[in-house]
Amino acid sequence: MTTSSGVKAESQPGTKLGAFLRGQMRNIAPFVTLIVLLVFFGVASPSFATLDNAANILVQISVAGVIAVGLTFVILCAEIDLSVAAIANATGIVVAYFTLQESYVNIANVPLPAVAAIVLALLSCAFLGLVNAVGLTVIGIPSFIMTLAMMQIGAGICALLVRGQIAYAVPGFVAAMGAGSIGGIPWIIIVLAVFLVVGHVVLTYTRFGRYVYMVGGNREAAEYSGVNVKLVLGAVMVISAVCSGVAGMLGVAHFGSAQQNEFDGYLLDAIAAVVVGGTSLFGGRGGIGNTIIGLLILGVLNNGLDHVEIDSFLKILIRGLILLGALIINVYVQAVRENERTG
Amino acid sequence: MGVESVVVPEKAPARLVMQGISKSFGGVAALRDVDFVLRPGEIHGLVGENGAGKSTLMKIIAGVHTQYQGHMAIEGREVHFRSTRDALAAGIGMVHQELSIVPDLTVAENVYLGKQPTRGGVVDWRAMFAGAREHLASLGIDVDPRARMGSLAIGLQQLIELARVLFSGARIVILDEPTSALSPPEVHRLFEVLRGVRESGRSIVFISHFLDDILAISDTVTIFRNGRRIVTEAAAGIDKGWVIQRMIGRGHEDLEGSYTGDVTLHSKPAAPVVLALHGLGLRRAFADVSLEVRSGEVLGVYGFMGCGQIELARAMFGKVRPTEGRLEMEGKPLRLRNTAAARRAGVAFVPESRRSMLFYGEPIYKNMSISVLDRIGRLWLRPARERDIARRHAESLSIRPSRVETLLQSLSGGNQQKVALAKWLTWPPKVLVLSEPTRGMDVGAKEDVVRIIRGLREQGLGIVVMSTEPETVLSLADRIVVMRKGQIVREFAGEAVSKDRLLEAA
Repeated sequence: MTTSSGVKAESQPGTKLGAFLRGQMRNIAPFVTLIVLLVFFGVASPSFATLDNAANILVQISVAGVIAVGLTFVILCAEIDLSVAAIANATGIVVAYFTLQESYVNIANVPLPAVAAIVLALLSCAFLGLVNAVGLTVIGIPSFIMTLAMMQIGAGICALLVRGQIAYAVPGFVAAMGAGSIGGIPWIIIVLAVFLVVGHVVLTYTRFGRYVYMVGGNREAAEYSGVNVKLVLGAVMVISAVCSGVAGMLGVAHFGSAQQNEFDGYLLDAIAAVVVGGTSLFGGRGGIGNTIIGLLILGVLNNGLDHVEIDSFLKILIRGLILLGALIINVYVQAVRENERTG
Repeated sequence: MGVESVVVPEKAPARLVMQGISKSFGGVAALRDVDFVLRPGEIHGLVGENGAGKSTLMKIIAGVHTQYQGHMAIEGREVHFRSTRDALAAGIGMVHQELSIVPDLTVAENVYLGKQPTRGGVVDWRAMFAGAREHLASLGIDVDPRARMGSLAIGLQQLIELARVLFSGARIVILDEPTSALSPPEVHRLFEVLRGVRESGRSIVFISHFLDDILAISDTVTIFRNGRRIVTEAAAGIDKGWVIQRMIGRGHEDLEGSYTGDVTLHSKPAAPVVLALHGLGLRRAFADVSLEVRSGEVLGVYGFMGCGQIELARAMFGKVRPTEGRLEMEGKPLRLRNTAAARRAGVAFVPESRRSMLFYGEPIYKNMSISVLDRIGRLWLRPARERDIARRHAESLSIRPSRVETLLQSLSGGNQQKVALAKWLTWPPKVLVLSEPTRGMDVGAKEDVVRIIRGLREQGLGIVVMSTEPETVLSLADRIVVMRKGQIVREFAGEAVSKDRLLEAA
């Protein structure tokens, strides 16, 4: 898997090295950032560069990672989905709602067979994504506003179902995926890997994936080429919601509880992973490869800052600054591209 | 060519005198040694084809172009504007074809835009409404100054913009294509207002492609061709035919083939109809358009900028949904929900702006394959096949460079246009709609495109070529319809046609 699913390196071998590096800036900058962070924490803390800790980092990024896969599709289309964390939370709660809870859990839940509970949870996140899709494409609400409303709706669903309580039990399969492991490898890492691979394959090797890049690259041109732009935009909103839903179920199992506001931090983490990795906020450039690097940067940063004993309040500020830096590079690279086109 | 002395109806001293004006853009002469005189209380019509130089001259007057040779004097005083602000201060106002009104503000706010009367630092609404009403009434415009600008008809909006320009103290008003969006009664009302403005001693420059309108309102008419002022004449003594002759020239001075002679149209009335339009209409853009596109025939649609052809092309490709009428494809009703439906039905479209058709950051082959991806593979991409197809097109259309991995942005305009065409050629559509297919191309690229389009016609495609340039339509079409203000006003089929007859019909 490469970090250049959008920018084909072989398409410009004749150009000068400088131009090539400038063109690859969005892929190079995140990669260098990751190396620098790895070296820094490796030197600063003896407990950082261990195999155990590497596994820790992967587990820590896996819930945000599954969300980020879906979000990559959305951002490649130059749209945004702010409802991912709320949909993850709602889906996690739905799956717990349809599972038999211990008697001390005071929730009016409806116990169903595990398969039914999982199917219902998946259907509900797909439905919420469909509402996003209809709002964006049929009614014409900008995705920023549409998904902001959906964020609130998702929070409302969570509140209604658990009413301030906490549920603990989830179907056995979900519990295994979120908290179990096989041969020493946590299932949650495997699930993340599967989502990343499938996301990459869809984006790079299928017709739909090409449409996603073309719609993001020049929406008007895609429409004048006879691409059903609204269908593509609707599809990415549903994909994003379903990825969020799966992440929500995994997260509930991983944390061992389902409650309100459980996923609030994941909205920023997922968006940050996609953007820090170098996928263009203007659409059409980037991909799962970039998202992987972005996830690793965030994971290494969060984990590494714990190892170097830093003021936990400063940690938040540092994360903000890293995100700002990535945004500056993101916008700057786009400006260079525009200049080269017109100049 | 006879450049005679300036003939004016009355011997008033000139308000604006321009002498020996020349202007070039990157070595291409847009104006050559042009003299122009405008008198107080005169309506001066300017005519000429696109690129003849009339807009360039007006932009010099309005302070948009500040680099030029020659002299300009207003009321006998030599001026050289450094900016549009200078021109405004000297009493020059311009009303563009695209109005610069603020639709969400009231009529009064638009009239007073930027200089609302204030009292104690706040807007004095009472004074503003009263002042606007009075000012508009003095021009014979009866409208509620509290009405929202956007709720008014386009003709009224234009009058109010004119009122604002006059209100700001303009003594010279330049109107660019003021009648192109107006209905006959609106044109009539505009003329009433303009005559009133003339009475007050102000001068008006009236630029238009609509020769009937020019001749109806102007005192004096100046004709431009190829950057030269050909003739200035009192409007009373001339007619449309006389103007057209001088606009397009009967001589040999034009560089490109000017199609002043007759072109015989090889229409094919017996060829089967592929796409039929029945009474198609789209709000203000066009109305009651009925057309038949025939297999193996190129249908030309000619009309001035803003005549509705751009919108018509989009309606045929499902980009906009017509509000009236219906489409028929090979006798079966056709409903286009979106562009994807049009593509599947066998309609292809190349818009006038390449930017809205092409992906500049992507290689040539991805640009070509986007419209046919579903026929190359349903689920999976087949990049090898995509490249093969693209290579075939690159060779047959002689696209340079021919490497299909080249990014589109490094191609010349003509080659980009060929890529835009190639999108549709792998599995030829039934109907190909082309908007301005040769605009802004050099002669060689133009010839290539014409040859490609002819080749497609031989394959039996029904082709529609929409253009505001008569040459484009004449060089390609087998049958021509002329659009004017959203309606088809004339059809030429199986007969000889020439540029002046097209211009006369439009």
